[in-house]
Amino acid sequence: MSMESDTDGGDAPTEAQVYERLDRVTDPELDTSIVELEYVDGIGIDGGAVEVAVTLPTAWCSPAFAWMMATDARDEVEALSVVDRATIELREHMHEDEINRGVNERLPFGEAFPDADGSVAPVRTELDEKARIARQHDATGALLDAGLDGEQIVALTRSDLELDVEAASDGDGDGDGDGGRARVWCRDGGLAVVVDAAPLERYLEKARATGLVDDDHPELFRTPEGEPIDPSRFETVRHRTRLAGVNMSGQGSVCDALHESRHAEDRPPLSTRSD
Amino acid sequence: MYEYEGEDVFVIDSHLHLWDASEENIVHEGGEQFIQCFYDYHTAFTPEERQWSLEEYRKYGADRMMQDLFGSAAVDMGIFQPTYLTDFYDEGFNTAEQNAELAEEYPERFVLNGTFDPRDGEEGLAYLEELNDKYDLQGVKLYTAEWRGDSKGWRLDSEESFRFLEKCAELGIRNIHPHKGPTIRPLNRDAFDVADVDDAATSFPELNFVVEHVGLPRLDDFCWIAAQEPNVYGGLAVAAPMAVHRPRKFGEIMGELLFWLGEDRLLFGSDYALWNPDWLVDVVMNAELTDEQRDEYGVELDLETKKKIMGENAAELYDIDIEEKKEQFRSDDVTEEFGLGDHYGPSTAPADD
Repeated sequence: MSMESDTDGGDAPTEAQVYERLDRVTDPELDTSIVELEYVDGIGIDGGAVEVAVTLPTAWCSPAFAWMMATDARDEVEALSVVDRATIELREHMHEDEINRGVNERLPFGEAFPDADGSVAPVRTELDEKARIARQHDATGALLDAGLDGEQIVALTRSDLELDVEAASDGDGDGDGDGGRARVWCRDGGLAVVVDAAPLERYLEKARATGLVDDDHPELFRTPEGEPIDPSRFETVRHRTRLAGVNMSGQGSVCDALHESRHAEDRPPLSTRSD
Repeated sequence: MYEYEGEDVFVIDSHLHLWDASEENIVHEGGEQFIQCFYDYHTAFTPEERQWSLEEYRKYGADRMMQDLFGSAAVDMGIFQPTYLTDFYDEGFNTAEQNAELAEEYPERFVLNGTFDPRDGEEGLAYLEELNDKYDLQGVKLYTAEWRGDSKGWRLDSEESFRFLEKCAELGIRNIHPHKGPTIRPLNRDAFDVADVDDAATSFPELNFVVEHVGLPRLDDFCWIAAQEPNVYGGLAVAAPMAVHRPRKFGEIMGELLFWLGEDRLLFGSDYALWNPDWLVDVVMNAELTDEQRDEYGVELDLETKKKIMGENAAELYDIDIEEKKEQFRSDDVTEEFGLGDHYGPSTAPADD
């Protein structure tokens, strides 16, 4: 669905720009982009006004998660300077009316859902923490692959990372090592390795969101509880970070299967009893 | 008895229901939402040709259940796990009394678990004792997300809950099965949070905590708790059917569970009628880890491991002597009714002459 019609004057975003912003919005429980998950049904662009239509895997997905995705999508699209207003249309959800009204009228969650038990913030924090842990697995995995050992990895600080090293493509065009590169300095002896920047950047994004970049500890990587890692516990922490990723992708499989069956052509009809 | 490459596998399905979600029994819109949500899970993880209609699914009855469990010899024994939901269903969704219809007719084949809800206070304690007097309980199924009036759930580590766990210990009810699994509409996701198992398991080392649905979508929290608490077990209901359409993901989850809990603390359950053991047992028995998963986790999902998961571990928790049961099942009512005599074979004991 493209309603893109007014891109010549430079006062409207392109479809690609909008999708690039939406790609930054994740399903918070799965830590995966809503574009990749195919939740975005389509966008409409009319000058500086953008509409985004979204359907989630089930009609009963957590209202708090739906709220987070809808508000994040709105805010990401509005971060484009040419966009004046983004409107979200959540479809086929049991609380679509409350969510669409709340998000588009910019109400706080508690006002859109007066009966809800709590606010969205602690839910978001809990899921950001889980995403941080899973992303740490990828980041430390990349460093292990580059030849660092556990002791070196647990000692790394933010200032040991240089993220904007010029892309030094490995030339094979397979995407692995063809993107941005990062230089990682190991304290003990001035050794530097150059690795793919993406897993480190992805990790830093969630480390920042969970307050681990500016807290009292300089160490970059942490236990799931947020503490610096004792070198003798490095393996255990690796196993726990692996587990966090398996949990997320496992839940992703559940959502995906529910989504598929909901949209299967021959799905037996549900009762018409209203609810 | 299920046969795998010539070898017998004694299957104890540790998670069964005999439920009633007929429209006449529904007294709250939550009851309708609940069964429709169950049905979403059913269709999502059932091979197309084995899917039921929603009408069949609402209320299937005792005869059909017996046929599904024993008709193709998929299951040898089963454990009933009640789910009351009396705010949603007039007579309850799946109560111990409803489950007793079958459990009392075939006591050699079924274990009947009870339940408690600490919000019921003194009356609840009396009910637990009554259930225990009536059915000689060995376990209880707990549903921390159940609605009760204005309350949208309760915690296993609360003071009130501890009173009930103490009562269980006193009555010799050793197996505690809290449901800690995927959100089911309209229940609250956070009321299924597995975190409250931690303190309960530490405080009651004499009880076994079988966490149903292995905490999903909090598998990470569950495994970490179970790694510290030797009396925490994992019930595989919901995880098992992932072997159908998502075998790789199933392997990964089994890899994690075997890595953190080992092969002695996992129990197979179909969650019948969410899924049907008449195909699910076969799917799980044929599931394999990839070479990569074997290397990553350093574990095996071989026949010995599967035999433990499919029955031996549950037998351990419920004092079931599998060899004695095989003898008994050569000629019990279920064997007569479904013609299962061959499955339990001629006696291998030396003839006493």
